[in-house]
Amino acid sequence: MSGRLAKRRGWRRVVNGVNLASLLVAVFVSAPLYWLVSASLKSPVEIGATPPTAYPHPVTLTNFRQAFLHYGFGRYLLNSVVVSLASTVLVLALGILAGYALGRFPMRGKLPVLMGLLMISVFPAIAVISPLYLIMREIGWLNSYQALILPYTAFNLPFAIWILRNYFIGIPPEMEEVGRLDGASPLRTLWSIILPQARPGIFTAAVFTFTACWTEFLMAVSFNSANGYRTIAVGIALFGSAFVVPYGTIFAASVAAVLPIAILVLVFRRSVVSGLTAGAVKG
Amino acid sequence: MTTTSGPAGTTVLAPRPAQPPTSGQPAGRPDVMTRRLAKLGWLFSAPALVVIGIVTIFPIVFSVVMSFSDVQVSGNGFSLGKLTTANYSAVLQSGRWQHDLIFTVVYTAVTVVAELVLGTAIALVLERLGAARGWMMALLLIPWSMITVISAQLWRYIYDGTYGVADALLRPVLGFAPNFLGQPTLSVVSMMVADTWKTTPFVAIIVLAGLVMLPQEIYEAAEVDGAGGWATFWRITFPLLRPTLALAVLFRVLQAFGLFDLPFVLTSGGPGYATESLALLGYQVMFTNLDFGTGAAVATSTAALVLVGCMVFLKVFRAQVAEDRG
Repeated sequence: MSGRLAKRRGWRRVVNGVNLASLLVAVFVSAPLYWLVSASLKSPVEIGATPPTAYPHPVTLTNFRQAFLHYGFGRYLLNSVVVSLASTVLVLALGILAGYALGRFPMRGKLPVLMGLLMISVFPAIAVISPLYLIMREIGWLNSYQALILPYTAFNLPFAIWILRNYFIGIPPEMEEVGRLDGASPLRTLWSIILPQARPGIFTAAVFTFTACWTEFLMAVSFNSANGYRTIAVGIALFGSAFVVPYGTIFAASVAAVLPIAILVLVFRRSVVSGLTAGAVKG
Repeated sequence: MTTTSGPAGTTVLAPRPAQPPTSGQPAGRPDVMTRRLAKLGWLFSAPALVVIGIVTIFPIVFSVVMSFSDVQVSGNGFSLGKLTTANYSAVLQSGRWQHDLIFTVVYTAVTVVAELVLGTAIALVLERLGAARGWMMALLLIPWSMITVISAQLWRYIYDGTYGVADALLRPVLGFAPNFLGQPTLSVVSMMVADTWKTTPFVAIIVLAGLVMLPQEIYEAAEVDGAGGWATFWRITFPLLRPTLALAVLFRVLQAFGLFDLPFVLTSGGPGYATESLALLGYQVMFTNLDFGTGAAVATSTAALVLVGCMVFLKVFRAQVAEDRG
């Protein structure tokens, strides 16, 4: 791969433009992250110190106790988990069926459907907020889990269908033959023969959907602003007042919200990268 | 780790022609078989399409209707009232909407260009990096996966006038402390910096994946011809990378134009309306003024602008690709 890259010798192998530039990028990306974690471990007094201190001294967990024992950030996290998990499961269930059908079955008019899905997946969410809000108010859905699960499912389905369809297309058609010769129903064939082959695609769709639900804010703040149903994003955004911003509590909650998703993304980073580039690279 | 293993690498923009589902179906009655499979296909797709239809297409249509109606909201319901264009004339004539439109367009243009240049530069550097590349990719994924609201709170703390770290770092250098979020022009720049931090990694990852896929032989040929680094980039890398860059631009423009989370927390659209985006305006009109008709007009016109912008972009892009090839 490095055929066109000049071989470097001696100290130039360590100190060179590429390494220095990479270091610069790493510092630029991680400095704010360090500041977030460091602030979450500082005492409330130290957080407001001028000039700011470079590292927490002493390290304290006061903020975490405040956030989770005193102000119900645990509840917000739980709400986020419930909504994101339910939406992801629904997206996978519906998306696998639709992606399989649109990838493999000789359906007339599926091209317009696929194009339509693409259009919907780029549609700005602000355009549907007011009608959805009024309808949900009418049927008493404001401040409930389903108020987010249903829209999250619908808005993440188009991308998931596209990703999954691309995987299903790549599976050799002979696989279905096997199922058919065994006399299995199409659903059975999909479940036990096709799905195991499409596992990477399913991971990708799942990680993307979960991350999108976890980070969504506009719908969450519009439909579920009551304290008991706030997601972690809404809880963090609406905490404090115009005059007092309790950063310590906010950052403790933030670290707790960033950590699980960062781990998820790092563990599945192959899936994430292949999903990010699904559209970018010609097959 | 950047290779797109397997079929996820098929393009989204230009779908492959549909493949026949089973190659070896019984020769006698392909029609019956095809028709049965088609029916089954629609049956399989129906649940997803119905959910998407109810939650996206129906509200989009409803939103357009609302934007042309005299919407009245009361304690126990709402009525659409008579047909009117009053919402749109109110929106189009308001100086606030005009300001927000200009702000959103400028913000989108500047951040997307900045992120594209930076992201490409980062990708070019990382491509040459050895073993540490996996770690760098992992690091880049963290801002991407972060809740925007959290990065907004973090940057608000960094920019704070009394105990912000940006203040402490820049005061000795500049001799004075910039009022990062209090001065209109500077607050726009501050927000762009925060946005760039969060989103450049996304662009860098996409571009890097595109770079890795480029054929190596061309570069060897260029080296033999004695082309320098700069010439190689503009003559070879850039043209080959254009589809990748176009997709990154498309994604980012769509996202940036719907800007909401960041100003909601970082500046509340202020000072004044300096950092108020169209989406934030639509939200304020709906949920602060409880004026749903006008809010729908703001939202619908924003969505229409996005769609028109995307179509123009795709058309220009296709034309350019065709020109390159023919």
